[in-house]
Amino acid sequence: MTATENPPTYTWVGTRPIRHDGYDKVTGKARFAADLDLPGQLRAVYVRSPHAHARIVSINTAAAEAMPGVKAVVTGADFPDLGAADPEYDVSVNVMARDTVYYHGHAVAAVAATSRELAADAAAAIVVEYEELPAVFTIDDAMADGAPLVNETNFTKFVKADEPSNLSTITNLERGEVDDAFAAADLVVEREFTTAAVHQGYIEPHACVVDTGADGRASVWCSSQGHFRVRSSTAAVLGWDVSRVKVTPAEIGGGFGGKTTIYIEPVAARLSEMAGRPVKIVMTRDEVFRATGPAPASKVRVKVGATNDGELTALEAWMAYNVGAFGNVAGLVGAMSVASYKFPNLKLEAYSVLSNLPKSAAYRSPSAPHAAFAIESVVDEIAQKLDIDPIELRLKNAAVEGDVTAMGMPHPRIGFVECLEAVRESEHYQSPVPDGAARGIAAGFWFNIGEQSSATVHVNEDGTATVITGSPDIGGSRASMALMAAEELGLDVNSITPLVADTESVGFTDTTEGSRTTFATGMAVVQACRDLIDDMRSRAATTLSVDVGEVIWADGAAVAEGHDPVPLASIAAQSKRTGGPLTASASLNAAGAGPSFAVHCGDLAVDEETGHTKVLRYTAAQDAGTAIHPSYVEGQLQGGSVQGIGWALNEEYVLNDDGSLDNASFLDYRIPVASDLPMIETIIVEVPNPSHPYGVRGVGETGIVPPMATIANAISRAAGIRMTALPMSPPHVLTALNER
Amino acid sequence: MTDHRRFTDGEAVIEVDGATVGAVIAELERRYPGLGEALTEGSSAGINGEIHAEPEFVAVAPDTDIYFVAPLAGG
Repeated sequence: MTATENPPTYTWVGTRPIRHDGYDKVTGKARFAADLDLPGQLRAVYVRSPHAHARIVSINTAAAEAMPGVKAVVTGADFPDLGAADPEYDVSVNVMARDTVYYHGHAVAAVAATSRELAADAAAAIVVEYEELPAVFTIDDAMADGAPLVNETNFTKFVKADEPSNLSTITNLERGEVDDAFAAADLVVEREFTTAAVHQGYIEPHACVVDTGADGRASVWCSSQGHFRVRSSTAAVLGWDVSRVKVTPAEIGGGFGGKTTIYIEPVAARLSEMAGRPVKIVMTRDEVFRATGPAPASKVRVKVGATNDGELTALEAWMAYNVGAFGNVAGLVGAMSVASYKFPNLKLEAYSVLSNLPKSAAYRSPSAPHAAFAIESVVDEIAQKLDIDPIELRLKNAAVEGDVTAMGMPHPRIGFVECLEAVRESEHYQSPVPDGAARGIAAGFWFNIGEQSSATVHVNEDGTATVITGSPDIGGSRASMALMAAEELGLDVNSITPLVADTESVGFTDTTEGSRTTFATGMAVVQACRDLIDDMRSRAATTLSVDVGEVIWADGAAVAEGHDPVPLASIAAQSKRTGGPLTASASLNAAGAGPSFAVHCGDLAVDEETGHTKVLRYTAAQDAGTAIHPSYVEGQLQGGSVQGIGWALNEEYVLNDDGSLDNASFLDYRIPVASDLPMIETIIVEVPNPSHPYGVRGVGETGIVPPMATIANAISRAAGIRMTALPMSPPHVLTALNER
Repeated sequence: MTDHRRFTDGEAVIEVDGATVGAVIAELERRYPGLGEALTEGSSAGINGEIHAEPEFVAVAPDTDIYFVAPLAGG
């Protein structure tokens, strides 16, 4: 279902052709990084820390190096010390520990051998002597007075800190008079919420093959969301110029933010350089869980004041995000993500807190789900206490264009109200709640970003076209690029081939993240097509002997009054006579990404004997701006919803006392599968982004923000218990039921 | 952000001249040592409703509102 502000007037944009990579995907022919094997290839295996925090006293690799099949061994000593001020320093130390291990599973050494089994045998023969150091794993412990220092190179950002600290960022945002507003409020609700660390849960583990040649140049094939970032980070960790690294993106089996950084490529490159042979690394699932970034755990205290008629007058929140052993800005972004409601009085205090856990990484709308779980739960509780419909209460307070976010910046044109109205008018919301069930509502926001993109478009000699970008396709973006090019050029979308090129075959392009690709890379594609159209108009003018100003482009042809239209295919066929090949490239740094809002509605039932929660029906509405390919927009909404429901109901890092992960497998780390959930219904709301030629906002992330509160709010109405800790797994729900 | 007021003796609103974001930051750094560096480290800015990454050379007018924000990325 699509709720559209402006009815579409496009030929191709908004249609649902079969994706260009679809046949390869469904027939198993798509090539992922682990599918690649090169002649003479070695396999590499890691040695990882058995301690959460320890000084490395010594590493003895002699026995391993002497074992059969072993061709190279690396430790931290084989990588340059970039210095703590280098922006890639944390990445370099996370890739391979130097004198200290900061978390259980931190890479300490790696062995390349002629088989994975021989490499594993040799890795087991490496002797590492450690001196254990005190470790902390929780926000409370890390923030306590006298807490052990997690990472001596972390200084609080943005404040010119003189001493290292366990706090990466400290953020204070304030407007209005919060204390006065609470004093005047008719109703104040205050609660504390916690969320567990969760993994992005991509099905494909990190994998790469690297061949470092005798000329010192490395060719990298890998799974990533951004091969230009793989290039720059790999080169930095190795101390090389980026020109020594060529990265070819393989198909990607999921990323969700977790593949916006690197873990293995520099290790494979160095091993390959030492061995003179290609080296392949494929992480095990255990390694993915133990040593790649989860989304942070969090603790959030929220206090909201309201009038009896449902006006939300004040918000005060304290937020802390457990970012793992290396600093990032999770707390700052969490505070900034407070943007859904007007809140005339607001005071936020947010922290990014280090601990001896794996370096956290982005995960769909990073930091926003934690804040939204807390705020949307309290807002819903206010609706319950005031006996106001939860959508009506949200509509009464929803941010609109010109309202300011927590960081003070006014919203541009946004579609939050339209999303709320779309759910309110939906068949789902209008239908009765099933017997024995209850319904929850929650909303979500994410900024979306622009950043740098490049595109090259070739019109081939037969009138077909090739669209080349540098954006890995993690959600159907090739189809979107082809659709926008088809719309511009007036070609059938099936005569356009969209490709993702390696780092030496297309202009620099930032990572596929922040819901930016269809927005920003799409803008580059549109610009390249428009430059091509200008060129084709000029060539048609030449052949028609008219001024170019008399030629317009319409329906895939150059049109001049008094002449028959000159179709693109005809212009292409004559290109040798009119100036040579038809090709154009565009590169840009896109501003004006349109913020995205989502509203979810879920019906569920709670089994009071077991604490099990069954989702019976679920609808996700989201403002896409303009849906270029509605099927893939719907897929993003469904995927975000399912991941959020998993986060809400089951997923969590379970830690042992020593900081090791107790559930490092999909058997014990329970993500939702198809049989767990109903079909996720979707409503695409289209409030076009005025900063994009087709109104695109980007849709990849916001869908994961509302589910936790949607589920919690429904459980509250179903069972009379307010769940404030994630996951709301059966044992936790059962405990709450028993304490009711 | 409220945190930046520690560079400005608590002042929440200050007026500076500058034709670009970079010029504004430079003037802020001149008048409030440390503030410019703090703003540059968070290398995105909201300008007239649009977030710009690394906005140093983005032109601004006398009535332009600039909101310095964290370098946003995403998942």
